[in-house]
Parts: sequence; structure tokens; C-alpha cells
Amino acid sequence: MFKELRFALYAIKKNIQNNVELRTSFLMNVGGMAVNNIAFIILWVYFVKSVGVINGWTALDIIALQGFTALSYGLAYFLFAGIRKLPDYVATGGLDRFILSPKNLLLRIGTSWFVPSTLGDTLFGVICLVIYGIITSVTLYQIALMVLLIILSTIIFLGVSTAIYAMSLFFTDPESVTNSLYEIFLTPAIFHGGAFQGATRFFFTFIIPSLLVGALPVEIIRDISMSKLSILVALAIVWLIIPVAMFNKAIKKYESSNFMTFGS
Amino acid sequence: MSETKALKIHNLSKIFSFSVKDQRAGWMRNLLKPHTKAVKAVDDISFSVEHGEKIAFIGPNGAGKSTTIKMLTGILFPTSGSISVLGLDPTKDRKRLAYQIGTVFGQRSQLLPNLPLTDSLEFFGTMYDMPGKEIQKRMAELTHLFEMDSFIDQPVRKLSLGQRMRAEVAASLMHKPKIIFLDEPTIGLDVVAKKSLRDLLLKINRDEKTTIFLTSHDVGDIETLCDRTIIINHGVLIKDLPTQELSKTFAYEKYIDLIPEDRFSAFPELSAGMRYALKNEDKVTVMVDMTKMSLQEAMQKLLNIFRVEDIDAYNMDLETIIRHIYERDPDRQ
Repeated sequence: MFKELRFALYAIKKNIQNNVELRTSFLMNVGGMAVNNIAFIILWVYFVKSVGVINGWTALDIIALQGFTALSYGLAYFLFAGIRKLPDYVATGGLDRFILSPKNLLLRIGTSWFVPSTLGDTLFGVICLVIYGIITSVTLYQIALMVLLIILSTIIFLGVSTAIYAMSLFFTDPESVTNSLYEIFLTPAIFHGGAFQGATRFFFTFIIPSLLVGALPVEIIRDISMSKLSILVALAIVWLIIPVAMFNKAIKKYESSNFMTFGS
Repeated sequence: MSETKALKIHNLSKIFSFSVKDQRAGWMRNLLKPHTKAVKAVDDISFSVEHGEKIAFIGPNGAGKSTTIKMLTGILFPTSGSISVLGLDPTKDRKRLAYQIGTVFGQRSQLLPNLPLTDSLEFFGTMYDMPGKEIQKRMAELTHLFEMDSFIDQPVRKLSLGQRMRAEVAASLMHKPKIIFLDEPTIGLDVVAKKSLRDLLLKINRDEKTTIFLTSHDVGDIETLCDRTIIINHGVLIKDLPTQELSKTFAYEKYIDLIPEDRFSAFPELSAGMRYALKNEDKVTVMVDMTKMSLQEAMQKLLNIFRVEDIDAYNMDLETIIRHIYERDPDRQ
């Protein structure tokens, strides 16, 4: 296990070096994503100020929501962006080279790619949570809770991605299907948390886990809610175990194709 | 290694199934309840390979070569049959097997495109858990052997195709595999680069006793590299014999080239047992079926028909032999 993790970190380092070689593209990706996120949050803050508080959600909560989702998204794909390339690997036969490596297949795929914009997301997420923490004067206990919530949200991002992209092993044209499924998960995650009540809240918590990566962590920090934290921990474990089992089963369906590809 | 064979394949089959459009049914029915069709890409093949052998595994496009290699290396799961590679089952021991085999796919790169080649070699060494010192030593060895000094520090994306293929093979040999599988390693290379790669593979086979299992459409690869040839077509193994004996397969067919004194103006009917392979004003090639006519008899008959300046009789070249074997694949066209 130690060897696997050490190689995974080494692969991430090499992928970063591989990307940094293309300096202009790298810097534009990082900076561009941070600017994009700032524009998005400005829009939401104006919206909340115009319509007022909805179901207890203030403009500050929206900043925390964007912070949690951006940071866990950034961390998940800073470490494991390769999982989002799985449909492409399946369609082109690029998956072959990972199967031929003597390493854990899922880890090898996950660490096979690096997306520079995830650094922009991570940076933006940290800034949002620092702003939220300063304005609401969070306690040390809340800071520790925030760290735990970020880890849980990151695990959920990784689990959901693995489950969605592993489905590409069952389809002939996997990219469009998996991208649509991913959007169904991600888009509600960055929406106003107060908009989800009753059935929609249940649906986007237990069926599509969008609220687990942003809205629920905000409410746990704001209300110090242990019951919600327990639900989040339980669901994070489920989203860690099931997708891995699903991937291991799905990989047996792989039918390698013969397109030309370049490595990583 | 205690196992006696490098490879042992028994009754191996692979079936792919896919949906096909039923022309008689409407689009809704095709969408909701599609017909599926099964294609047997590999059909009940068995063979074994000794340690250190150099095998050409050949066949026309779609014959099942790549599918077989992919099953041998653990990429694809067989539908039925058994595989033993160095005593390991690729479907169960993928990781353990990966430490002992090397693979090169001519149409696919395994290298890091933007970084110097040294980084890719180091990456492979680290992936195979080699200690740092051993990685450096092996890199130096391979750089020298593959004559990569002039481009070892260049980003991979800037290498020529010939340089890149040499680098691909070097990377796949970092961990000193016992078998190397090569799928079309010389595809797209010029004659110089092809020769250089073939020489290197022969050297690796001689010095490190690496078993070579190669697919190629290039007859030069087969002739110069491999001492045994296995031919597959439509998923079925149709020949397994020493490469030198391939030419004997069609030894009953000989070719006669006729060069005219001036120009050939007419091409009369030939007797039974002879047929034109080429009809040109300045050259005629005739194929003689030796089961029906001797070479001497054929030459006499031809010299009675044509006035020639030169005449040459020879066996079929390997490329033609292989083409004939593909074409004669029984009952499956």
C-alpha cells in the first residue's frame, strides 16, 4: 500500500512537471479558473442581496458554499484528475497502458492526468473559506470541523466521479453520457443551498449527492449540527466503497480499441 | 523461473458482441431493443513458446493478432480457454505479470510528451519499484545500447518517429522483462530506422535472453527477427512453423521472369500448369505449378513462344507466400 501511494504521489509530481513545461497554458489555466470563480460568486452575492435571505441562507453562506465546493473539487482533481479521462481512455484504448502497469489500476488512472485549473479552484476555495471564517469569527473547533468536512467532500467528489466515469466501460460512446451525468451532480452542488427543501433536498442528498459537497458542510459549520455530520460521514463511506467495487467489476467489461494515443 | 514454457495458450477464444441495426424494424425498436451480434475474434487457438524464442505472430488486418496479444498481457479477459505467461494467469495475476513483461504498441506512446526522455525512463523505473541507483545504471545501459545520447535530454514530443520508437522499446525494457510483446513496432518507420530497431531487438534477445513476441505486417521484421512464425486469420491459427520453412510451403510454385530482346507484342495462351503473373511489353512473369510441369519443360515451352534476351527462375518471396496463405484460409472468406 505504501509503495502504491508513494508511486501515486510521484506520478502526480511528474504530471505537474509535464504541464508546467507549457508555462503560458499552465498560468492561463490557473488564473483563468480563479477569475471565473470570482465572477460566479459576485453574481450569487448580488442575487442573495436582491432577493434577501432564502430558508436561512445568507450571502455569507453562499461564499462558504462556493468555498467548500471549489476547494473539495480542486483537491479531488488536483490529486485524481485522471478519473475524468476514463471515458476517453476507454474510447481510444488508452486504458491499455494502465492495465499493463504493475500498480493499482484505479490509482494509476486517477493520477495519470493533471488539470492546472484545479490549482485555481483550490486557491479560490481557500480564499472563500478564510473570508467566511474571518467575518463569522469561527472558533478553533469550527476550523477543525471545516478541515474534516473538506476531506469528506473531497472523498465524495472522488467517489461520485469514479462511479460516473466507471459507467463509461458499459457504453459505446461514453463521453457524452458520463459528462451529462457529471453535470447533473455538479450543477446543483453550486446552487443556492436554501433552494433545496423537502423532496428535492432528499433527492439531491441521497440519490444524487450534490448537496453533500457544499450545502451540507455549510449547514454543519453554521449550525454545528452533529446529526448532519453523521449523515455526511456515513454517506462518504458509502461513496468511497461502492464506486471502487463498481469500478473493479466494470473493468472486466473493457474492450480495448486501437486508436492512436499519446501517453502520460 | 521454474516453468518450462514462456507462454502456454490452450483453446483460447474471445467473442465480442455489439448491437446491430435491424433494417426491417423501426428506429424506436432499434433503440429500445437492439439486435446483438457476436463476433469470434479469436477462435480456439493453442500454442506454446519456449524461453528466448523470437515469434512472429502475423495475420491480415482483423485477424485477431492484437486481441490475442491483449489477452496474453492481461488487457482483455478471454471468453474461454487458458493462458499461462511465465507460469502466471494474466486474468488473475495482472500486477505480478506486469513486473515480468514489457509491451510496445507501435501506434501508442507510453512516454511523457512534454518532458525529456530521461524523465520517462525514470518514470518507468520508479513504476517497477527499481531503486534509484539501479534506475540510473539501467538508463545509462539502455542509452548506450539504443544510441540515444543525442536526444536523451529532448522533450519526447520533439523526437522523430524513429527516435521515439527506440525510446518506447527502451522504456519497456527498463525493468529487464523476460518477455517483450511488440504490436507493429516498425509501423511508419523508414528503412534505416526499421533496421536499427530490428538490430536492437536481436541484441536484447541475444544478450538478455528476452523472449520476443511480435506482430507485424512488415515481412522484413519477420524474416530478420523471428525464427518461428505463427499465422492467424479470422481468429483461427492456420500455420505454426519455423520462418525458414515458410518458403517451402509454396515450393511447388516457381516464377520465371522473361526479358524480351526487343518488346513483347503478343501474350499467347499458356499450357496447363503455367499462368501469367505479369504481362508487360518489357517483362513477363509466369507462375509454374511444379505438380503439373517440371521447370525444364516450362522453360522450353516459354522459349518456344517468346524470343528473350534473359530468363530467370526463382521461388516466391516471403511476402507473396504470406499473402497466399492469407488468401487460402479455408472456408472463412
